[in-house]
Amino acid sequence: MTQLRRMRPMLGTFVEVGACGPAAADAIEAAFASLEGAQAWWSFHAPESELSRLNLAAGARVRLRPQTLRLLRLAVAVMRRSESAFDCTVGGLLVRQGVLPDHGGLVPLPRGRVDDIEIGAGWARLRRPVRLTLDGIAKGYAVDRAIAALRRAGATAGSINAGGDLRVFGELSLPVQRRELDGRFTSLGALRDAAVASSRVAAPGATRDPSFPAQLVAPIGQHAQPGVWTVLARSAWRADALTKVAANTPAPHRDALVRSLGGCLLATPPLELAA
Amino acid sequence: MSTRDWSLFLLPVAAIAVPAHAIDYLTVAQAQTLLVPGAKSFVEQPLKLNDEQRERIKAASGVRQRWDEQKVWRAERDGALQAWFIIDEVIGKHEFITYAAAISPDGHVLGVEIMSYRETHGGQIREAEWRKKLVGKTLADPFKLDEDVPNISGATLSCRNVLDGVKRLLVVHKLFLARA
Repeated sequence: MTQLRRMRPMLGTFVEVGACGPAAADAIEAAFASLEGAQAWWSFHAPESELSRLNLAAGARVRLRPQTLRLLRLAVAVMRRSESAFDCTVGGLLVRQGVLPDHGGLVPLPRGRVDDIEIGAGWARLRRPVRLTLDGIAKGYAVDRAIAALRRAGATAGSINAGGDLRVFGELSLPVQRRELDGRFTSLGALRDAAVASSRVAAPGATRDPSFPAQLVAPIGQHAQPGVWTVLARSAWRADALTKVAANTPAPHRDALVRSLGGCLLATPPLELAA
Repeated sequence: MSTRDWSLFLLPVAAIAVPAHAIDYLTVAQAQTLLVPGAKSFVEQPLKLNDEQRERIKAASGVRQRWDEQKVWRAERDGALQAWFIIDEVIGKHEFITYAAAISPDGHVLGVEIMSYRETHGGQIREAEWRKKLVGKTLADPFKLDEDVPNISGATLSCRNVLDGVKRLLVVHKLFLARA
C-alpha cells in the first residue's frame, strides 16, 4: 500500500507523517495540527507552555487541559511502577547541567519523588520546587494523539515517526531500522499496528554529539547502561517511557520489568531477525 | 499483558541495505502549493549574494550563508505579493536536508516543509561527498514513493540545523526581500 508522506521540523526533531487512502492529504494536515498542540503544551523550553506554567507555579494549583492531565497521570504511573527508573522530576538537574533552559526564580531541586506531583480534578500542582520534564514520554504521547487524528480524518492506514518514536496503524507493514551507537543501521523488522521507540545512552567518556541532544538521567547512585534501548509496545507513549526504564534497570530484572509494564525490549542485535 | 505474543507486531524481514537513508517528499511545485495555497503564480527570482552580503547575513543571523545564490520565488495572486517561497539546504554532521520555507511580506514564517531528507550511514561525511551522491538528483525530480525506505528508530536527531537555517532566511528576507 502506498503512503503519502510529509516531514516537518517539530518537537525538536524531524517528524514524518504518512497516510493512505483518499483522505490522506487532509489527514496528514490534521496530524501535524495535533502535533503543533503537543509542542505548545508540553515543551519544557517554551515558558508559556502548560508544563512550564505548572513548573513555575510555586506549588499553586494550575488548571490544565484534560490531555495534559492524562499525560501527567501516565507519567506518574510509570514512575511509580518502575520505582523511578523512569523519572519525570529530573528537570531541575537538567537545568543545573545546562541541558534544559532556566526560566528564572528560585533554583529548583535537582530531582524529586513521585509524591511531589499532586493531580486533582482539572488541576495539578507540585508539592515541592521540582521541575517536571515530560521529554521521556510526551513525544510518544504526541505520536499517539496524532495517530488518532489521522484515523479521525479518514486515513485508512498510516504512520508517524517523531525522531525515532514510531507508530503505525492499519494495513501497513513498516520496515524499521535502528541507528546504533556507532552510526550503523541494523534492521529491526517490519512494524505492524504497534509502536517502537529508542533511547541512546552513549558509552561513558564518549564526547557528546550535539546532533543527538537528549540526555538520560539514571537513578541516584546508578549509571544508565550504554546502548540503544528499543522497546516495542502497542502505544508510542508506552514504548517511549519504557526505553528509559530499560536503560535504567539492571540486566537481571530488565526484560521482566519492561514486559510487566506492557512493552517488549528488543535485544541488541535483534533476536530472531535474520540479518 | 506479559503473555502477549509480540512477534505479531514486528515481523522478520530481509535487511535492506541502504548506503544512506534518503527520502524525497515534495517537488518544488508541490511544496509551493502546500506552503502558499492562495498564490496563483510563482515567479522565480534568484537572489545573488556577494561576499560582503554573505558576511552581513552571517553577522545578523549567526549562521553561515554557504552559497552565493539563494533560490527565491515571488508567490503572487493577481499581481499582489502573497509570500516569498525560498528553497534552502542544510548540511549537518549526519544529515543533508533540502527544505522550503514560505515567509510573509512582513517577515513571518508561514510554514516549513522538508522536501528531501538524507541521513548518513554513520560518521562524518564531507560536503563534497554528499554532493557527489546527489549528482543527477535535481530539485525537480518527481515525487518518489518508495515503500522500501525504512524508518529509523534510534537517538533523536535534533532539527536545530533547519531551525537555524530558517532564522538565516528571515535575515535574508529582512536585508534583501522586505523592500523588494
